[in-house]
Amino acid sequence: MRPRNPSGCTTWLRRAAGAGLAGVLLTACGSGGTGGAGAAGAVPKPGGRLTFAVTSDFGCLDPQQVSSIDSVYPARQLVDSLTDQDPATGKIVPWLAERWEISPDATTFTFHLRPGATFSDGSPVDARAVKANFDTAGKLGTIAAQAASYLQGYRDTTIVDDLTARVSFSRPAAQFLQATSTHTLGLVSPASTAKPPAERCTSGIVGSGPFTLGSYQKNQSITLNKRADYRWGSTLWKQQGPAYLDQIVFQVIPESGIRNGSLRSGAIDGDSAVASQDEASLRTDGFTLQYRSAPGLPYGFSVNTGRSPLDDTAVRRAVSRAINRQEIVSTVLTPLTKPVTSPLASSTPGYVNLAADLVFAPDEARKLLDDAGWRPGPDGIRVKDGNPLQLTVQYFTGQTSAKAILELIQQQLRAVGIAAALHEEPVTNGGRVVQAKGYDLLWGHTKGADPDVLRAQYSSTGLNFNNLRPGPLDDLLTRQAATADQNARMALVRQAQELILTNQYNVPVIELTVILGLSAKVHDVVLNADARLQFHDTWKS
Amino acid sequence: MLRCLGRRAGWRRLARFLAHRPGLIASILVVAVVLVAAFAPGALTSANPIVGIPADRLRPPSAQHLFGTDQLGRDLFARVVHGAALSLRTTMIAVAVGLVAGSAIGLVTGFAGGPADEIIMRVVDVLLAIPSLLLSLALVTALGVGTVSVAVAVGVPTVANFARVMRAETLRLRGAVFVEAARCAGVRWGQVLSRHVLPHACGPVTALAALEFGAAILTVSGLSFLGYGAAPPTPEWGSLVANGRNYLATSWWLSTLPGLTITLTVLATNRIARALDGEWARAW
Repeated sequence: MRPRNPSGCTTWLRRAAGAGLAGVLLTACGSGGTGGAGAAGAVPKPGGRLTFAVTSDFGCLDPQQVSSIDSVYPARQLVDSLTDQDPATGKIVPWLAERWEISPDATTFTFHLRPGATFSDGSPVDARAVKANFDTAGKLGTIAAQAASYLQGYRDTTIVDDLTARVSFSRPAAQFLQATSTHTLGLVSPASTAKPPAERCTSGIVGSGPFTLGSYQKNQSITLNKRADYRWGSTLWKQQGPAYLDQIVFQVIPESGIRNGSLRSGAIDGDSAVASQDEASLRTDGFTLQYRSAPGLPYGFSVNTGRSPLDDTAVRRAVSRAINRQEIVSTVLTPLTKPVTSPLASSTPGYVNLAADLVFAPDEARKLLDDAGWRPGPDGIRVKDGNPLQLTVQYFTGQTSAKAILELIQQQLRAVGIAAALHEEPVTNGGRVVQAKGYDLLWGHTKGADPDVLRAQYSSTGLNFNNLRPGPLDDLLTRQAATADQNARMALVRQAQELILTNQYNVPVIELTVILGLSAKVHDVVLNADARLQFHDTWKS
Repeated sequence: MLRCLGRRAGWRRLARFLAHRPGLIASILVVAVVLVAAFAPGALTSANPIVGIPADRLRPPSAQHLFGTDQLGRDLFARVVHGAALSLRTTMIAVAVGLVAGSAIGLVTGFAGGPADEIIMRVVDVLLAIPSLLLSLALVTALGVGTVSVAVAVGVPTVANFARVMRAETLRLRGAVFVEAARCAGVRWGQVLSRHVLPHACGPVTALAALEFGAAILTVSGLSFLGYGAAPPTPEWGSLVANGRNYLATSWWLSTLPGLTITLTVLATNRIARALDGEWARAW
């Protein structure tokens, strides 16, 4: 059933193709196809230390607050979730909750917890802990916008008995069950929920996960230790007992060249983001490559619609038409990367192919700009009322291949007369940058295995990446989150995607495929539903 | 010196001087080529440094692309040549800041003496005590990213060096007979400084300027390597080296050739600085 096994790939391929999950399919077959991780017939061996390189340090250890890929890797290992999501089928399966009931109007969710699970401080994983988590997770401040979005409309949690918790919402919350499978709603101990958000970030939280926090050195490393008495693993895992690895060390190494050298020399066992130029040589030298194409919002630009010149839909559309997505893929990225075909990645449930609206049409872009009054100036950059058409493009340190991609986009925009100035910021400044809205275009993506991920990005409340005014899109996004009937919900999701592209609230660019490089000694690194890593089943030979 | 001799004898001496110093000739040639690159890049390459052909990416050095191409298919030679303008302009501003401000401080304090000299020289001591790269980093963080702020950040720490050398020369000259004679004759002190002291003190300061020029190229490139220079896609020597470092395993030329260009330029200016520092006089 595991998609990583090469023989299982074809079966799974058929099923995935049927479900329209082409992106995850690449992930699974890519990893299976390159061998290593499959290691068919090998018996897992406990013990050992895995050193895994990540590109940046977000400076936060709390899974309920973090959102950058690199910080989720360690945070995910510390906590368990009520449920888990099968990456192959999208089905929600038991983890800490043995079973659950949902009221027909999707306003109350009753979770029956498995007995015996404890947090690593000794307190039990019970209904009281569930209540403490949901009561606080929505109020952790701006960087925890995802948790707040999942818990929008949350009323309260009733402790029915020790192991039964009833979560109720003031309006339907169709996305909530899937949300309980994410790291964002992973459970931390009641003692941790009582701490202020900043302290949870710096000193970490206590979870019930297969690993506990050993040490954290800012911008250097995070060490996790195995929890020996763990025995409540997700039903998706190969086994529910303690993890195989004794220790995982996440090392922060920002430069891809150094990660590549460290992987080759054996100083690290895994690289979270292999650069495309190193891909071919690693494969020929026997390293395992796993390809990860995440569902959610693909890489692209959030558009500051609140200020000139991008307050004009025509200019936004011209930007989108001027970008040659295929050229980006063939120049700087692995060939498995897909140009976008919708504001949602193709592996997200509810995705609709809107490729016709995302074509490369430089002549149309020029015409749009001409009609909008932007005329070519003496240096080729267009001018209107004396102002040059110059866009401020913001990106963050550690974003995969960002500089190469953006320099190419800069070149492509220049060809139709748009100047782009690139600004890099440390990823820790992310929240501040978004709040300040000093950008015209903001480079980024958001992972999520549910179309509700649209709401976090496009809602005019919250961080409001696109600086949107309240409008019909808000209504669509709120309604899809509240619609229990799946068909009706997906119809709303479709409308939302169309509305986003019609108004070009966003310029999606590529469904970035991240390449994990692993030493041949490392087996069974698992990608979960939102393409994040789970190290419980991982072992070293 | 040259002035005192006959024109013909002077050229012959210069030829003999240079014939014994092939390294100096090479250095002068390198600096000449770099200056051409900085002021007339079109003379060295016709390729576009900003817009590349993505299909031609990561090509090794060849007759068509002398330094190869980068990850976006841009001609690296063109980028190094066009980068020279920015890197050298930044360096020149930096050295000019140090030279003008440092010399002025050294000249005035050396000549004035007294408590003013004491106080300013203690400030200079403090400047000298801070590692210059560290001070540059602090300054550029405060001033913000950009060519001029990098230049100022690199120039300010060298003020102390220039001030020290200029002050020492001024102290030496202050007691000289012709300076005393000029003052006794009633020449105003500003005149004395500009007519009599400055021309005699400028030799060592010029040599120091040439030396600082090499060091400044390194620091400017260092800061641009760290991302404090011009915004992409404008090429700068330091940022070219920085860009190539993630491709070292597969495309060695991306960092190596701009790196060698920096090295050669710094070595050449150092060699010229040594020649300026009395090598001519010592040769006879």
